Amino acid sequence: MNPDVVAAIGRLTSEHVLSSEQAARFHRVARRHLVSVRIEVRALLYMGVLLLTSGVGLFVVEHHKDIGRWAIATSLAFAAAACLVWVVRSAPPFAWSEVESPSVAFDYILLLGLLLFASDLAYVEAQFTVLGPRWVHHLLVVGIVYVLAAYRWDSRVVLGLAVGTLAAWRGVSVSLIARSLGTPDAGALRANAVVLGVLYVVAAFLSVRLDRKAHFEDVFGNAGLLLLLSGLASGVMSEFDWELWLVALLVVAGAVIWISFRFRRSMYFAEGVLAAYVGLVRLVFAPFADAMTGTPLLLAALLGVAALVLVFVAHKRMSAR
Amino acid sequence: MRPESIAWERAAEVRAAADGWRRAGAIDPQTHDAIRRAYPDPCVTPSAVWRVLTAVMVTIVVLCAFGALAVTTRPREPGFTVLLWLFAAACVVATEYMEASPRLARRGAAGAASACGIVLFLAGLGVFLHAVLAIRDDAAFNALLLASALTWAAGAWRWGSPPFAGLSAASLFVLLARLPLGRVVWVIVGSALVGLATPRLDDGALAPSHRRAATVVLLAGIAAVYVALNVYSLDQGALESLRRFAPPRAPSTAAFAVAAVATAVLPVVILLWAWRSRRTVLFGAGIVLLALSLATLRYYVHVAPLWAVLSVSGTALIALALAGERALRRAPGGERAGFTLDALYSDERQQQLLQVVPVVGTLTPGPVAPASAEKGFAPGGGASGGGGASGRF
Repeated sequence: MNPDVVAAIGRLTSEHVLSSEQAARFHRVARRHLVSVRIEVRALLYMGVLLLTSGVGLFVVEHHKDIGRWAIATSLAFAAAACLVWVVRSAPPFAWSEVESPSVAFDYILLLGLLLFASDLAYVEAQFTVLGPRWVHHLLVVGIVYVLAAYRWDSRVVLGLAVGTLAAWRGVSVSLIARSLGTPDAGALRANAVVLGVLYVVAAFLSVRLDRKAHFEDVFGNAGLLLLLSGLASGVMSEFDWELWLVALLVVAGAVIWISFRFRRSMYFAEGVLAAYVGLVRLVFAPFADAMTGTPLLLAALLGVAALVLVFVAHKRMSAR
Repeated sequence: MRPESIAWERAAEVRAAADGWRRAGAIDPQTHDAIRRAYPDPCVTPSAVWRVLTAVMVTIVVLCAFGALAVTTRPREPGFTVLLWLFAAACVVATEYMEASPRLARRGAAGAASACGIVLFLAGLGVFLHAVLAIRDDAAFNALLLASALTWAAGAWRWGSPPFAGLSAASLFVLLARLPLGRVVWVIVGSALVGLATPRLDDGALAPSHRRAATVVLLAGIAAVYVALNVYSLDQGALESLRRFAPPRAPSTAAFAVAAVATAVLPVVILLWAWRSRRTVLFGAGIVLLALSLATLRYYVHVAPLWAVLSVSGTALIALALAGERALRRAPGGERAGFTLDALYSDERQQQLLQVVPVVGTLTPGPVAPASAEKGFAPGGGASGGGGASGRF
């Protein structure tokens, strides 16, 4: 129960701000006589998909020799098809605008079907080497299928998976950026991260500009900026040519801050501010690499104060607009 | 908490509810404006992104400023203690100032400053006890845990921060685990906290943030009772390992049997309580405890291979969710026993965006390593079944 809201509903009803019908409904929710379990059902579905796909993966790893390649590939294909047939039958017609899911389970059954499809594709590629020496591109195929599915069935969850899978295809893990860029081949990965990041940002821009699934903008935009700014920041932290990377990072972060300020995108603004701060901290620490002095820390604190002032001013002006 | 802060919080609760009603189209803009006029809230309340960004920057500023002064002055232990406490005091003063200002109270800066203040105070206390007073490790650590429990609790009470209540409870339980019969004490104190917190969850006399802190304490109490009674924790001596010089001792058969029964029963009790009280937070706790109990069962009783257990439990969860959804959709008015699938004035768009994060985090395949192209393909299910290239066939 929320006693403050319960008391307010009583007062607002007596002052005729709320009608008795409105008050009765709001009262039920505020007193917890009516409770939404939407999040809990979603959590159950998510855990179910996670456990089931993990179990299937383990099963295939442990038993593929006993059962046979064809049997496993066919079973996975049937399971994936069963999920996707259900999705096709329950899905509303396609539209470029946001389409409401027909049920809470829809996104997760779609997710399960696509994950099983991806597992099947990976298994078939491993056993039958369909793509031959171009096997690394199987993740590209999976990523493209995810993108198509995300657009057809209007699923941000699947789009997030697509964005991550395409990054994995280029050797970059969105969820483990730091580890991905800490490998000996960091230069190539960094370039991949920057290029993919730019592509995702462009996709976010076009989604809104062309009004084609405009609500996908935040998935594309956040993944793109994460890849782009992390790629540039990892260049700043490297030993060679870090000054050039710093210039690039500051220019991009400045542009992100300015554009996100103009278009009132607080998440992008935060990402831009943090990236610029990381770059500037590298700059203030560089001259003191061999000296035991508190000066760079003091400068980092002052930079933090400047960032705070920027955050306060930007929030005030964004709110005013 | 300051009376003004409590009044602002109460108004913010009503305005947030009104925003939800408006978002769902249950009230018109005029009614929405009338409610906002009736419950004025002078505080500037940025979204979570702004608050987190501000909190991160404040933390960086405090720690860098402290580091700069510490590196420049390089004090010995007593001086270092004084420096830590000076910074802690400055953080507390800054928090008090910001909490009193409607422009600053809810920007994230006050929360970060108060957390920094408490951490710096406790760090100073640790240095003081260990290096200045030269108290032996064990006693110093116990004193630090007691101080931690009290300080975080005081912070939660003064500034209305639910995470502080959780940190206080965590400190308290680590301290209690170091006592003789710590496991029994965990059950008693955990139960007492559950008993104390439950009536306060809906207590209108408390500030909203204090009610949220009571929820955190309730969950901490439930977790403590479960950990103390869990058969795996008993078998492995998980709590006893927190004690110094605790002799390793196998649990008696009777204790093992009691713990096994409690491991099975407690999640069901929590789920029943959740059902009766319609508290979703208890549903979450019950589901987590049930999963832990099933994992414990799998550890001791090999009912089936791991892949079968994962597949069956995954299928069961999906089936349960689908059945629940179907039952609620078909019920008259879309509700059954006071439960519904309707979003009920919550921000559905935010929730949809948030559900992308765990999926991308756990189901995205691992990256293709450039070097692996020469060794041959090793496809698999991803780290968590994501249909990627991290496994091995």
